[in-house]
Amino acid sequence: MHWWFPGDGNAYSTLGGKIDDLFYLILVIVSVTFVGTSAALGYALWRGAAIKADEKVWFSHGSHSLEVIWTIVPSAVLLFIALYQLDVWAEYRMKGFAKEKDGSPKIITVVAEVTARQFEWRIRYPANGKPLKPTPQPDDIYSVNELHVPTGGLVSITLRTDDVQHAFFVPMLRVKQDAVPGKMIPVWFDATMPGNYEMLCAELCGWGHYKMKAMLVAQSADDFEAWKDKASAEQFDDGYRKPAE
Amino acid sequence: MFRENFPISMPRFTRTGFNVLVTFGLAVINSGCGEAPQAKFKYRPTTEDLIPEANKAVVKTLTEDFGTPEKLVAWERFPVDYGGVKGTVAANDGPAGAFSVTLDGDAGKIAKGASLLWVTGSQAGGKSAEATVKSFNAVTKTLQLASASTAPVAGDRFIVAFGEDMQLGRVVYMKNCMHCHGVTGDGDGPTGKFLNPRPRDYRNGKFKFTSTQSQEKATRDDLHRIVQYGIPGTYMPSFLLLGKRETTAVVEYVRWLAIRGEFEKRFVEELTNDYSESVIVDSIKKAQASYEEKKRNKEEAEKPLSESKAKKEAAAAFKKYVDDKELDGAIEETANLLAAAWTQSETPEVSVVPTSQRVEDTPESRERGRLLYMSNTTKCYTCHGPTGRGDGAATEDFWDKPGTSVKFEKRGLHDEWGNPLKPRNLTLGQYRGGRRPLDLFRRIRAGIKGTPMPAFGETVLKDPQVWDVVNYVMSLPYQQKQPTAVKHPAEVVAKNEEKPAN
Ligand code: HEC
Ligand code: HEC
Ligand SMILES: [Cu+2]
Repeated sequence: MHWWFPGDGNAYSTLGGKIDDLFYLILVIVSVTFVGTSAALGYALWRGAAIKADEKVWFSHGSHSLEVIWTIVPSAVLLFIALYQLDVWAEYRMKGFAKEKDGSPKIITVVAEVTARQFEWRIRYPANGKPLKPTPQPDDIYSVNELHVPTGGLVSITLRTDDVQHAFFVPMLRVKQDAVPGKMIPVWFDATMPGNYEMLCAELCGWGHYKMKAMLVAQSADDFEAWKDKASAEQFDDGYRKPAE
Repeated sequence: MFRENFPISMPRFTRTGFNVLVTFGLAVINSGCGEAPQAKFKYRPTTEDLIPEANKAVVKTLTEDFGTPEKLVAWERFPVDYGGVKGTVAANDGPAGAFSVTLDGDAGKIAKGASLLWVTGSQAGGKSAEATVKSFNAVTKTLQLASASTAPVAGDRFIVAFGEDMQLGRVVYMKNCMHCHGVTGDGDGPTGKFLNPRPRDYRNGKFKFTSTQSQEKATRDDLHRIVQYGIPGTYMPSFLLLGKRETTAVVEYVRWLAIRGEFEKRFVEELTNDYSESVIVDSIKKAQASYEEKKRNKEEAEKPLSESKAKKEAAAAFKKYVDDKELDGAIEETANLLAAAWTQSETPEVSVVPTSQRVEDTPESRERGRLLYMSNTTKCYTCHGPTGRGDGAATEDFWDKPGTSVKFEKRGLHDEWGNPLKPRNLTLGQYRGGRRPLDLFRRIRAGIKGTPMPAFGETVLKDPQVWDVVNYVMSLPYQQKQPTAVKHPAEVVAKNEEKPAN
């Protein structure tokens, strides 16, 4: 049923399901509207053609009540959509700043700083057990075109760009956020299942835009830590191997 | 234009004394996207400057031994993995055209329709028509050919799907790299002009960020790393998701382009002194001047040759050069040299490996490193500046073009390709050749090839001293407290996290 969605059609984030629901709601509204207006148009055409020469026509042009109806009904629909989606939008953009219902601060793991540049993603993680600092630290871990995140909880990345505007897009998690020069934008999301998800640039950023294809690797918290240890060991490799005795 | 289904043609002997030369044919199968412009290898200006006879000989050699982008030629003398599975006929016992074989490699590559080349035996050397595989039975190891030509005998060597990887490499290169690095690998692709630093021109056979000693070529692994992770701070992007097979293939193609380019360079250098038009014109001009000088002084003098006569003489000399097999000798010599160099780079002996562990990164070690950095034995500061910002005194000077006494028009250092080059700003923590301590160790110990960044290995610095310098260099980005004018969202979030409840 979800065949038109990216990947296997399922959303692999908590919010993703809600976004899909919104999509379906809007799809239904739009379909009903489309079918209804098409039917009305068809009827008008048929009725107009079938009219007898001596029959009196009904002029709808300038009808006050009709105008009122088709102003109020769509407005109501739009207002409904606007209000109905507020919660999802808030969860996506604001609730990271808010506290939990019981007053405790939200637990969000700040995973990495993701910097888009023409035409790749450069990523900086804090060392295991340390928070991400705004400026590079000596023990930071780096990767390129491969963003690792832990599953099972809200994570956040800091999105930046080195040059022009780009957009961070993980279709299977239904996350999309523009990267704007001069800004550092927090992006919250979660991945419900470990796996590799396609990560793309969704803002035409130059001739190499299509090359900004990367991978988001969602791993269990343990695997994520293990990966960071491994990446750190590799990054701080001094190449010295004890000669075999 | 560059699809993956280009057929391969049979071996071809161009010159005796050479190993097997094989061409990958390219009957252009056009599937409805219109004629694409033909891709061509460009020649160096020094090649174009040769007298027509010599130019023709160089172009002929390059075309026969390396082919064109549309029709590659695999010169087996070079250590390039062109791809394919080699095997030996075990016994010719089956029905016509079928025989059992032993394979050196992966049988998975043998598909119906793959071409088969005979390397040894009565059919080798292009004497038989190209053979095609009809079927291969992996269990009985029986190969059935589409047509039964003269029967092979046990022990005959063959290659199936020869050149497959090379063709894949070409496709990957044309899709992903050509627009910067150029069809010829001269760094002059359509986008190349607009980039700083310029894309690498492979034709010097030199790569900057390698694991080998300062006079050696790059290894496959070095190039693999570059393609996977890109070069931070430049326009060379990361191709991490390219796929293992594709990456390996494109690395092989880049090596081949580098070999082709350097072959042309060295070969033409052999000829330039005697057979280049501009050299001939120059020498006539000089001779004319001295002739006139002498005449003015009423000395006895011989009138120099006219230009056309001099060229005719050069052409005659070149003919003798060819007849005396000296041209073949030059080709042989150049090929030998390159084959040896590219083979040697893969050997462990030339790899730069620290003989001692990284010195512990203590303030004392950094201080020792700083003193070395500021000392006149290394002179790091003259290029990288006393504070490491890449603004040393050397960037203010005008430097000679290598091997001449002509100065560059621009101030500051240049690399071997003639492009202006700034010493790295070491306070940014951006390392083009990789950020592992090992990478920096290699940069300092073996230098950066093709650039003024010298090698400080054994002669100037011992390994523990190199480590002290590495520790100092790696501490530079974190020395001064950077002002945090913008409030970082990570900080905001982190604060939220740290704040106690309520
Ligand atoms: C956007 C332009 C661009 C594209 C596309 C590109 N490169 Fe590069 N490449 C560069 C630049 C610029 C440099 C030089 C960087 C420097 O000098 O520090 C470079 C350098 C290199 C080097 C030299 C590394 C060394 O140690 O000297 C190799 C090898 C290389 N590229 C291979 C490739 C391959 C293979 C591809 C295609 C898969 C590719 N490049 C695609 C711009 C590009
Ligand atoms: C003659 C000038 C010169 C001297 C002396 C010199 N360098 Fe360099 N160095 C350069 C240039 C030029 C580059 C940039 C090369 C490039 O990217 O093509 C460079 C690059 C570097 C890099 C960056 C490597 C990377 O992967 O990005 C480091 C680190 C470095 N130099 C350290 C040193 C140290 C330490 C010394 C002294 C022991 C030193 N340099 C001496 C010119 C110099
Ligand atoms: Cu982009």
